[in-house]
Amino acid sequence: MKVLPSDKIREALNILAGEAEVYAPLVNGDVSGYFKWADNPAEELALDVLNTYMSPKNIVMPQTENMYDFEARGKEAQVIRVTNAEGPRVIFGIKGCDLQALHALDLAFLTKGFEDEFYKTRRKDLAIIARACYQPGPACFCESMGVDRLNPQADVVIHDLGQQDFAWEAKTPKGEEITSKLQGILVEKDVKLPQAAEQQRKVDITGLSEKLAGMFENPVWDELSSRCMNCGVCTYVCPTCYCFDIQVSNRGEAGNRFRCWDSCMYREYTQMAGGHNPRDYKKERFRNRFLHKLQFFNERYGANLCIGCGRCVILCPNEVNILEVINKLKEVQVDA
Amino acid sequence: MSDNTTKAREIAKKLLQDGTVAMVLGWEKGDQPYVSAPAVVRDDAGADRLVVDEFCIHDLAALLTDYRDSSDKIAIFAKGCDARAIVRMIQDRVITRDRLYIIGINCPGMKDPNEYARAESGLSKAKPADKAAKCQSCQYPNPVIYDEILGEAQQPGADQRFAEVEKIESMSADERYDFFIKEFSKCIRCYACRNACAACNCRTCIFDETKPQWVGRSTDPVNNLLYQIVRTMHVAGRCIECGECERVCPAGIPLMLLNRKLIQDVDRLFGPYQAGLSLDDDAIPPLSRYRVDDPDEFM
Repeated sequence: MKVLPSDKIREALNILAGEAEVYAPLVNGDVSGYFKWADNPAEELALDVLNTYMSPKNIVMPQTENMYDFEARGKEAQVIRVTNAEGPRVIFGIKGCDLQALHALDLAFLTKGFEDEFYKTRRKDLAIIARACYQPGPACFCESMGVDRLNPQADVVIHDLGQQDFAWEAKTPKGEEITSKLQGILVEKDVKLPQAAEQQRKVDITGLSEKLAGMFENPVWDELSSRCMNCGVCTYVCPTCYCFDIQVSNRGEAGNRFRCWDSCMYREYTQMAGGHNPRDYKKERFRNRFLHKLQFFNERYGANLCIGCGRCVILCPNEVNILEVINKLKEVQVDA
Repeated sequence: MSDNTTKAREIAKKLLQDGTVAMVLGWEKGDQPYVSAPAVVRDDAGADRLVVDEFCIHDLAALLTDYRDSSDKIAIFAKGCDARAIVRMIQDRVITRDRLYIIGINCPGMKDPNEYARAESGLSKAKPADKAAKCQSCQYPNPVIYDEILGEAQQPGADQRFAEVEKIESMSADERYDFFIKEFSKCIRCYACRNACAACNCRTCIFDETKPQWVGRSTDPVNNLLYQIVRTMHVAGRCIECGECERVCPAGIPLMLLNRKLIQDVDRLFGPYQAGLSLDDDAIPPLSRYRVDDPDEFM
């Protein structure tokens, strides 16, 4: 089997970065995420930790993304440049959970007769080098959300052999192409793939989506939301939360329109022009987040909008835990 | 079960049973040993879940804003920092003193559940500290206001409030600029710092306003810096130095640096002042009252 030796990873990324925008799991001080690879000495590869704090969704939907620039004179306005982010991209080291999240984003942005041009531009030439996950962490529950962590659907799958050497398996023609570019780096070796550890956390969501359809007004939401302080940490670290806002910035006669991540945890998210806000209180905002994850997305696309990465559980400042929420929702007795 | 937890449950049950309060704000255990989660309980079963242990780091007073429009009486557990937060909430008229029953906790310093979660989950290689960073130099471990108190009085930590500020001030202007741009570039605008803050209790926050939109929603150094500087200015003289903003920041931005700088400025302009120490009239934050001898060199 081909092996990518640990001391050649930076070199491999440099080769790939010669022809494409490469994203890799990186740590820079207190933050880690899938950042653009620039062989920056301040950034360490985050291959020896479970995953990054920030999810890889920024690759296909940057937190702030310009859409177009314009000029306005009096009542006349003219678009002078539409942002075009076309070009090959490679994501290195994505795990099965985050990859399933990407597939959920595909459903939202590319199906049901709606294609989001900005998303599609970034997504269509994205090559995926996924990392099989043999050692899930204690906060992980991806299997309960239907993730195949050992066999991610990718162009190349890499397997951690310890000491950060990775067995390398091309799975698609695109994967073969990447492999051929790294011919001088990959070495042929007899390897034994690691033993997969069992995932500890489990939760059963069978039938939950259907049950939730009758729980919109249930008082349990008051209790569940009481500890939430309505910040946006969970939505911004989540690999599947995809809400965005479209905003404009202008100076004098020139300006640009951009979109940026938005969060249903924020009051402004549902603020209407006339002053009314249908989600004025935190219970309503909290409920929306969980119903979107566990009911609405399921109803529309037949898939979960939670992939069990555990980021929100780990990073919530006030200890909101989606597993506890699911378990409490399951316990509630509702009249048939 | 610790002594404090036993007492906490007894007190909560008594207050709920005799109708002194409608709810109790405390902590209950989560699904990991290092998680003590903020909890709002309203009955005996809830009271029996309450705990007071070394992971009760959250400032429950920040949750009082949720009940500002009700008339319910609330019992709330309060460490030294939380008690100062409650004083601030009362001074800012979020809630009245007579609606609160404050169960003080003489606090030996807490551990940060988030730090543990990051390490235990495998996302971070950093080892969690035995005492959270924000508790290291705590000056008021014992509540300044309470109706009942748990635990033995504690000694304050070494006063290092301005040590970091002095380090930044010894930098050149360019170095300082680079430092802050680097730090604030990490901000993801999740507003956790604002929402965890007891001083941030405005009904409508300036950053949520749309007409006009005071601060752009794009994440770039300028708007991030604008957000953070405006926020710091708004809490100047009202920050109780609980350090929650810095603790909850998922990007690890040293937010207390800015707060402490503003505290220093308030000290220099208006005389030494620490927020949330007393409900007396002369303890109102300098920027919330007018005195004829206030500095006015800009006039």
